[in-house]
Amino acid sequence: MAMPMRRTLVALHRATCRRLTNAEVSLDVRHPGPLFLPVRTKKRYFIPPAVGMKAKMEGFTEAKARAAGIVGKQENIERPINISCTAGVFDPYIPPEGDARLSTLSKEGLKQRAEQIRQSATSQLAIRKIKEHDSLFKTRDFAERAQEIFVEAHNALTQFNKEKLHSLVTERCYPEMTRGNRYKTIRWSFIESLEPPRVVHARCTDMVTKGNVYGQVTVRMHSRQSLAIYDRFGRLMLGSEEQPKDVLEYLVIERHLVNPYSRWRLHGKIVPSWAPAKDPIIKTVMIPGPKLRPGEEFDALNHEVPKPAAVQWYK
Amino acid sequence: MATTMTGRGIAFLRNISGVLHSRLQVLGGSPQQLSCLHTSSSLESKAWEKKNLKVYPPQLPDEPRRPAEIHHSRRQIKYSKDKMWYLAKMIQGLSIDEAIAQLEFNDKKGAKIMKEVLLEAQEKAVKNHNVEYKSNLYVAESYSGKGRYLKRIRYHGRGMFGIMDKVYCHYFVKLVEGSPPKTVEKTSLDQAKQYVQNLKNRTIIHSL
Repeated sequence: MAMPMRRTLVALHRATCRRLTNAEVSLDVRHPGPLFLPVRTKKRYFIPPAVGMKAKMEGFTEAKARAAGIVGKQENIERPINISCTAGVFDPYIPPEGDARLSTLSKEGLKQRAEQIRQSATSQLAIRKIKEHDSLFKTRDFAERAQEIFVEAHNALTQFNKEKLHSLVTERCYPEMTRGNRYKTIRWSFIESLEPPRVVHARCTDMVTKGNVYGQVTVRMHSRQSLAIYDRFGRLMLGSEEQPKDVLEYLVIERHLVNPYSRWRLHGKIVPSWAPAKDPIIKTVMIPGPKLRPGEEFDALNHEVPKPAAVQWYK
Repeated sequence: MATTMTGRGIAFLRNISGVLHSRLQVLGGSPQQLSCLHTSSSLESKAWEKKNLKVYPPQLPDEPRRPAEIHHSRRQIKYSKDKMWYLAKMIQGLSIDEAIAQLEFNDKKGAKIMKEVLLEAQEKAVKNHNVEYKSNLYVAESYSGKGRYLKRIRYHGRGMFGIMDKVYCHYFVKLVEGSPPKTVEKTSLDQAKQYVQNLKNRTIIHSL
């Protein structure tokens, strides 16, 4: 009884071994694999990153390679950098006080309107220089185009369309617009323009070499917009969607004039010193208090919160 | 047992060997097949940190305000995951001030590290995740996981050796805005009543 069992078992063993060693593709096998099959291919060990640093730190390997004549990796390769926008606003426009407060029909309003761009000589020179490079430049059309660029750029910001935003906005303005907004939802809509946009200021500057001209044009626009920013969880952080606001803005549009393929792009905004304060954000924020010496107590009644100085700044 | 195997028996055995062979091929399989079992590298997956990147759509004005959730972790802490577990479960469900206070006066090594992690998480909540009051947070989830161990040789007598593990652990914490949820404590009398009720609710089927 035991003998036949052993014989069949041996036969079975031989059969399987033969089959395994031959590795013939039988009819019912679905995945014809290689002859030598690794059983475990998942990495199960852990090498800490500090292993191997000792050999590299000694520094003999470099000298040996150089002595042997092996050309290693070339450091200090020259890489051309493309500067397609300036670092800031050159000679910024200082908007006159009470710009949008006076109506155009009153005497002072007419005076302000009369102070047009023709008064400023440097702006005229700059516009002449821009017309040298771009013959189709006209201040009237340009102002409307500037407004269109502004609206499109902000729409791209709400969708967070990076490529479109880069083509409408310079590299200096891009981080200012998008910092902190990656995980927030912005709802912005341009409702209407209250006054036609006007070109107010123009400057041409050179960067690095003398002929490398960049043109910056400031456009003033008065419009009605609505803005609402929601945080990561969908809660309102700033503004409201139903209530629009009248906004007077001074946009700086820039172009690299020497480059024939450059475009007019939004470079920044000028915020005048007399601008009204913005609405506060919905949440409460802690302001750091005064530094107390040990033993001193905080006097809440006599403590004044320091207000920032009214300075023109550009964003 | 019969002295000779029947023809059917031999065919059955051959079948088994065939199935085994095909099974081994499938299991051993091509390397492409094996790699699809683990699509993402599970050794360095940072799924907990990625939970912070989820953006919800803006809420409608009639919806209840969604509480902010902040996920924070620290990886490769030189401590045992089992020892860390006790501390992690101690602070689960407490408000963040309460949790920090408990950890400050705990003598364990992991308590100091956990306190740092909680303070980091609180700062991140206020700065990045639009949380209004830093005390208005509670610990919703807190647990420890196994980190990647280093292996060393531990020498025994008579030329024997053992493989010693240098243990590391990860610590994960989830802070949620709001006051901690109150757990209703069940008294022993309530539990006894519940037990009696369960007994009374039994139905006897197929009875007269």
